[in-house]
Amino acid sequence: MQVDIHAPYKDRIRQALGDPNLRVAVSKATDRMDNARNASMDEIEGERLRSQLRQMKQNVLRNWPDYLQELETNLRQNGCVVHWAEGIEDAQAIVKDIALQNSAKLVVKAKSMATEEIHLNHAMEEAGLRVVETDLGEYIIQLADEPPSHIVAPVIHKRMEEIAEVFQEKLDMPVTRDPTKMTSLARARLRKEFFAADIGISGCNFAIAETGTICIVTNEGNGRMVSSMPRVYVAVMGIEKLVPTVEDAFLQLQALCRSATGQQFTVYCSMTSGPRRKGDVDGPEQVHVVLLDNGRTRMFARGYGEALMCIRCGACLNACPVYQEIGGHAYGSTYNGPIGAVITPALAPEITQFKELPHATSLCGACREACPVKIDLPRLLLDLRSDLVQQGASPTTEALGIKSYSALMSSRRMYESLGKLASIGSNVYAGMSGGNIKFMPPPLNGWTAYRDFAPFARKSFRDWWKERSKKRQRA
Amino acid sequence: MHKATFERRPERVALFVTCMVDMLYPNVGIAACELLEKNGIQVSFPEEQTCCGQPAFNAGYRNEARKLARRFISIFGPLVDSGEIDAIVAPSGSCATMTSHFYEVIFQESNEPDLTIQAQRLAAVTFELTEFLVDVLGLVSTGAQLQGKAAYHPCCHLYRELGVDEQPRKLLAGVEGLELVELPHADDCCGFGGLFAIKNSGISAAMGRAKARYAQQSGADAVVLCDVSCMTHINGILSREGVDCRAQHIAEILNDQCGSNLRPPTDPTPTPADHPRRWGDVA
Amino acid sequence: MSTRDNILASLRETLRQPDLPFPLLDSPPLTQAERMTVTSASGGLWAQAERFAQEIAAVKGTCELLETETEARLAIVSRLQIWVEEEQAARKTADAERAEDWDVLCWPPAQLHVEGLTHILKETGFKLIEPTDLHDPEQRERIRPVRAGVTSVEAAFASTGSFVVGAGGANARAASLTPFRHLVVVPFSRLFATAEDWLAEMRYAGGLDAYIRRSRNISIVTGPSKSADLEGNLTLGVHGPKVVHAILFDDVQE
Repeated sequence: MQVDIHAPYKDRIRQALGDPNLRVAVSKATDRMDNARNASMDEIEGERLRSQLRQMKQNVLRNWPDYLQELETNLRQNGCVVHWAEGIEDAQAIVKDIALQNSAKLVVKAKSMATEEIHLNHAMEEAGLRVVETDLGEYIIQLADEPPSHIVAPVIHKRMEEIAEVFQEKLDMPVTRDPTKMTSLARARLRKEFFAADIGISGCNFAIAETGTICIVTNEGNGRMVSSMPRVYVAVMGIEKLVPTVEDAFLQLQALCRSATGQQFTVYCSMTSGPRRKGDVDGPEQVHVVLLDNGRTRMFARGYGEALMCIRCGACLNACPVYQEIGGHAYGSTYNGPIGAVITPALAPEITQFKELPHATSLCGACREACPVKIDLPRLLLDLRSDLVQQGASPTTEALGIKSYSALMSSRRMYESLGKLASIGSNVYAGMSGGNIKFMPPPLNGWTAYRDFAPFARKSFRDWWKERSKKRQRA
Repeated sequence: MHKATFERRPERVALFVTCMVDMLYPNVGIAACELLEKNGIQVSFPEEQTCCGQPAFNAGYRNEARKLARRFISIFGPLVDSGEIDAIVAPSGSCATMTSHFYEVIFQESNEPDLTIQAQRLAAVTFELTEFLVDVLGLVSTGAQLQGKAAYHPCCHLYRELGVDEQPRKLLAGVEGLELVELPHADDCCGFGGLFAIKNSGISAAMGRAKARYAQQSGADAVVLCDVSCMTHINGILSREGVDCRAQHIAEILNDQCGSNLRPPTDPTPTPADHPRRWGDVA
Repeated sequence: MSTRDNILASLRETLRQPDLPFPLLDSPPLTQAERMTVTSASGGLWAQAERFAQEIAAVKGTCELLETETEARLAIVSRLQIWVEEEQAARKTADAERAEDWDVLCWPPAQLHVEGLTHILKETGFKLIEPTDLHDPEQRERIRPVRAGVTSVEAAFASTGSFVVGAGGANARAASLTPFRHLVVVPFSRLFATAEDWLAEMRYAGGLDAYIRRSRNISIVTGPSKSADLEGNLTLGVHGPKVVHAILFDDVQE
């Protein structure tokens, strides 16, 4: 069963949990990446790298507007065109406008979460352009008409046979499951597109303020292709993706590669500082940089700035036991996994629009342990839950339940009476079902749908304590 | 969090037994109490204590959590301040996290500096049971004897919030007759997560089933852990799935000096329909 | 106000909030003195060259270490000859011979740090393709079938087996990108223990930021193009070269 990202939350979760292929594919891949990350961080002073990256990113946010202006000035000096976009519509309009002015027909894209955020492909196609995703994984899901399900491994949810089916159906590939043959086929198809494309679009892994440089990181080389082959190159970057200096860029680059895939460096890191000049053999004639807000300033003002240090490595997804069970589509948002559960509501006009996401976590903390910037994701999820309660977004029964629980627990007398009552009741009830409790009424049926419950003790700890104290007094 | 260093060996400890242990698993509390007493600690049990407020805090109800936090501080604070007790010990990583990490957070948020300071002061002398036994009392073994195979599951709050991991492992390694086996993916969450187990019961149970599979793979008779909440979840799953293994709190293991068998030979293989063991019962 | 001004004003406004939970007021930048060197490689140039070889092999590249420029020159030619044979053998068909097999997409020989390379390549039958404008459709078409590219480097890092290719002027980006095979010439004088060593030297010389800007584009390359998108199966040569061969030679001769 495929996950329909437009279905209601409960349905998406059900669909995801009901798909055995999904769990196999996702857990295999996330385990592999998580182990690779751990190993590559152990090779070096990983803890120090994380602390230094955190310090650097925190400084960026403290001086955010200044660094942004520095970047803008330097980009312009280098001959790039800088655009500012507040939301989805502006960003789409800016890129469409660039395409229109260049009479473009074909766009090649390198994998980018920022352009997913603004649904750029859809907008460009509506404007009559053909858009081709060139990252192999992204190409597959574009053919299958699905969104990416992982920040760095977009097709992580599909197994080999499912991918082969897509290639057979959409590319008339002869029946094979040979990854080398499938890669060659994709190479040949996409090579044509690279040579014919009018515009290359990518995201931006980070931009260097002091030099006005856009950096993109890929293993396949499509990042270099889209930023080198077409006449026009457009980079869409979230306004938080800044580093102050070249050295900072190399620090973040290495932390990113190690955290994402366990590599020392990805195969390619392409750093673009401006358009082709007279006498250059190749390179784009125009370089446009779209600085995208889309909720980031809002998220910052709401107090969720810590998550704006995220470098989009996907390590928290790989470490997350929830993500491992349900994959990315079940989150129903562009960003998924622990970081998605934080930034999706935090970026949204109203956090209540995504009120399920902060609850889609057991708060185990594996994400924070994996994060190269040490973002305290569990804490931010807890803060979001609190904000949701304050905005009255939690179910009335839950609110009532918690309020009466806290009232009961505020009195020793009531607490003890409740304990007695629960002990008698649960033991009688358990006796009927032969040992453990197998069914409880709503909302506790959420528990017993999947698990048994032991009855309360016949004699509580405090009963034992009192008896013992009495005995001791007598003695 | 700043932890207190003791100039002399602490002698008096207040047991923060936690509401779940109190009502569901008294044996765990009894074992914790006896373990401390055997090591020369005078244990007290402030009977006013109820729940620390973690469920409210986790669900986002900070006002309700603060209500219970104030109550907790009003019970334990004077005992610490007057020198009546040297430390607070809890047989739970999760509840110790709530009182020693998150009380400070919620009082900072509500801008109550006095309570924030009190929370910090309590946090400095609050310990999870094995943390106290190893770090404060310097124990390497509790002198326990037990037959069988055990696998250690690090509960998330204990492991990642309190940073306690070596301590319980060390004490388990000191149990005579106990064979320790590796739990695959040991540090993966069991899926409990408090309200998460109800609100997102499908995901939570899927995580629990993964833990149950690994428990089975490990070949252990028991999965040993330091939190009864996770224990309830893992046992609930093991019982429902009919896996012949159970989760057991470390206090009971460490306090067992009878050389008893982790897997009693008289136990028939449990089936989902008829689980012979009611792990909540007082022996 | 423009979008730009709105964004900047909003950020400044937020930063003025006295009780903003994040970032802390005291958030100093990471200074040059405290910034760590992530990896390390010890020893002299030969030890570093050996380390480079080891690291590039770990990412599925190949490498030769040579003592002199003369040896390097010969090694380049014979490697390209081997590649022609491999290409022809792989086709196994009647038209095993293709004129394009002898095409080499090349940086200007002066940029390759090996004297007389052009001469010997031409002598051995290779055709050097040195485009001047790759937006010209004809020249663009011309490079499409080329299977081998030859470039030098700005720098190479021993500790990770990486190298930096710059662009601009007659140095085509395409030479290290579009061909199926990339031969990269690395004189020892361009070999650094780590990326940080290179940055430090550039910074010290006062030219790092100017260099990065001037370059329009630099790429740090570590091994052949690859992907794990097909259910974790490693495949090579997705878009960039499938074969990356580095020829390191001692031009320092201490």
